[in-house]
Amino acid sequence: MPKCTINGKEVEVKEGATIIEAFKTMSEDIAHYCWHPGLSIAGVCRLCMVDVEGARGPQIACNTVVKDGMVITNQSEQIKDIVRWGMDFHLINHPLDCPICDQAGECGLQEQYMKFGQYDPEMNQQKVKKRKVVDLGERVVLDSERCILCSRCVRFTDEVSKTNELGIFNRGDRSEVGTFKDKPLNNKYSINTVDICPVGALTSKDFRFRQRVWYLKNDDTVCNGCSTGCNVKAYFNEEGLFRVKPVYNEEVNGHWMCDDGRDIYKYVNKEHRLLKAKNNSGSQWSELTAGKAMQELHNSLFAEIKAAPEKTGVVLTGQYTNEEYQAVFATLKELGVTQAFHWNDTDSDDFDGLLIRGDKNPNTKGLQNAASAFGALKSVADAEAAIASGSLETVMVLAPENIAVYSNYDKTFAALSKAKNFVWFGANKTECFETTNSSNTWMIPIKSFVEKSGTFTNHAGLDQTFNYVTTVVAGALTMSEAMTLFKGETLEFDLRAKPMTSMKNNHFTLNRGEL
Amino acid sequence: MFKLSPAGEEFVKKELTRYETKRSAIIPCLFKVQEENKGWVSPEAVTYLSGLMDLPEAWVNEVLNFYTMFNKEPVGKLHVQVCCNISCCMNGARELTKHLKDTFNVKEGEVSADGNVTITRVECLGSCGTAPMMQVNDNYYENLTHESAVKTIKELM
Ligand code: SF4
Ligand code: SF4
Ligand code: FES
Ligand code: FES
Repeated sequence: MPKCTINGKEVEVKEGATIIEAFKTMSEDIAHYCWHPGLSIAGVCRLCMVDVEGARGPQIACNTVVKDGMVITNQSEQIKDIVRWGMDFHLINHPLDCPICDQAGECGLQEQYMKFGQYDPEMNQQKVKKRKVVDLGERVVLDSERCILCSRCVRFTDEVSKTNELGIFNRGDRSEVGTFKDKPLNNKYSINTVDICPVGALTSKDFRFRQRVWYLKNDDTVCNGCSTGCNVKAYFNEEGLFRVKPVYNEEVNGHWMCDDGRDIYKYVNKEHRLLKAKNNSGSQWSELTAGKAMQELHNSLFAEIKAAPEKTGVVLTGQYTNEEYQAVFATLKELGVTQAFHWNDTDSDDFDGLLIRGDKNPNTKGLQNAASAFGALKSVADAEAAIASGSLETVMVLAPENIAVYSNYDKTFAALSKAKNFVWFGANKTECFETTNSSNTWMIPIKSFVEKSGTFTNHAGLDQTFNYVTTVVAGALTMSEAMTLFKGETLEFDLRAKPMTSMKNNHFTLNRGEL
Repeated sequence: MFKLSPAGEEFVKKELTRYETKRSAIIPCLFKVQEENKGWVSPEAVTYLSGLMDLPEAWVNEVLNFYTMFNKEPVGKLHVQVCCNISCCMNGARELTKHLKDTFNVKEGEVSADGNVTITRVECLGSCGTAPMMQVNDNYYENLTHESAVKTIKELM
């Protein structure tokens, strides 16, 4: 393995590694635009220049392989000057419309300019005007004046999504990135191009102009959109979530995530959520706190179930954490309940070859594992039949969080709600709540995946533990908490949600109030 | 909808096997399309060629847009390209261009009303020793005067 010296520090790298990779392994600063660890090398931005002792002249770090004994630096005055001029060239035709640009705050041009700005540009030519606000389909908008022609997005559609929509047309200072005849960029991974675009040329229709990025906090979690379980970062403020972006994990998702996964955050936000527990034991709905509801359920149902456990069943979806399944199955055991049913509207082995899987539940494997100690899971159709025949009187449902992929959601709700006692645990509200068929219906608000810590087991059996990100609905419970209360025990913790590790006290530390 | 002649399609198929990558065959195939599509390559022709070569439209379009010898707009029966680089300009190429435009009553890059002529200015065509010069379709005409240029074009019409 070759050894080299970078800015005076020695480092050993893999055979064939490039200089920029060596910089990255040392977390040493190096300016660059076109290089991306998930794409091929283009060497077009010319910003990653370094001095290599004994070389003819400055070299680009992204396309120079480290050789044993190389002495490399990017700290010399000459290199800094080259980068400064490189920056100036990138800005010749750039519109500098940062105040109205959605990328501001996370823009490569701004970042490098802070370090290598010329601050006194010497251009006295007119800027070349190019097209702004080019509609590239459902999710992406292009501003080709802002583009620095790094070709990352083009390489992404050529090499990763393999859909080849993007190209660089024309030449010289007329070069413009785009699709043929402005056709829509409607591949299943299109927003990744927005992520890797180092400037504000490609922006996301969903996110643009909704928040300045510096007003958002972010934290890591796992996408609950399908059984792949891509690692993601959720961006939020006190109102809720605004977007998610992929986080690198070689084993699971590499650098990318799919477009459907980008929409998941929407179900987490208040407008889609069940905010309070609801009860209908006659003809009227009443609202109460989740904790109170669980206590009342304990008082009215716990003993009844224990006396005749064979008349009770639980319907589970693969959208909860392993820890929650354990709590549920432990409670069932205590009650003597043996009937558990698996509800999955998206049961399929489909795989698109990159990330997207047909099973739209993040934790079907985890559910199966937890259930294996408990006994076989029957299908949700069995539950519906048992209710219709009257052999099941009490049904508890762990409803899906990602409703959009549950095509039979309303129908299943209607069928299951024919049970005499019907307890629905769920994060979301839907209209079908009004149409319950049960004479004793309970709706319990449950925390969404970003509001709790836990583990999902993905399609390959990989356990991925994630941490609490933020609180959206303060009054919701996790399934584990709900089970504790159902058993008549009290929740033994501070009723305040945990603050983010980086901040001791702030408005994200939501008081959970009276549970 | 544009379609190549059977011979043209045969040509494309052959070009596709000629280089290491299919992508390298785009230039000769675009020339073939231009030749059979009255001297220019339309967006429909790009779609057709991309289907025929089984390559993304964006790739074909990149090549088409990069090179100036492909015409992206319709041209007249005679595509007159007047060299306006240094040698030719020093020998009156700009005046010659103006004279031709006036004579045939056509704006630069547009097709004359009768559909016969398109006049464009181009960079050096490598015939500096015989400046000024022009290329009409595939042929060079050199050592031009206003009169000889007009006469040549009229004869070709
Ligand atoms: S649009 Fe962005 S990613 Fe694509 S070439 Fe331009 S700067 Fe690079
Ligand atoms: S592939 Fe699956 S896990 Fe990954 S982002 Fe898409 S929906 Fe989420
Ligand atoms: S990162 Fe090396 S040339 Fe762009
Ligand atoms: S300058 Fe006209 S042919 Fe070279």
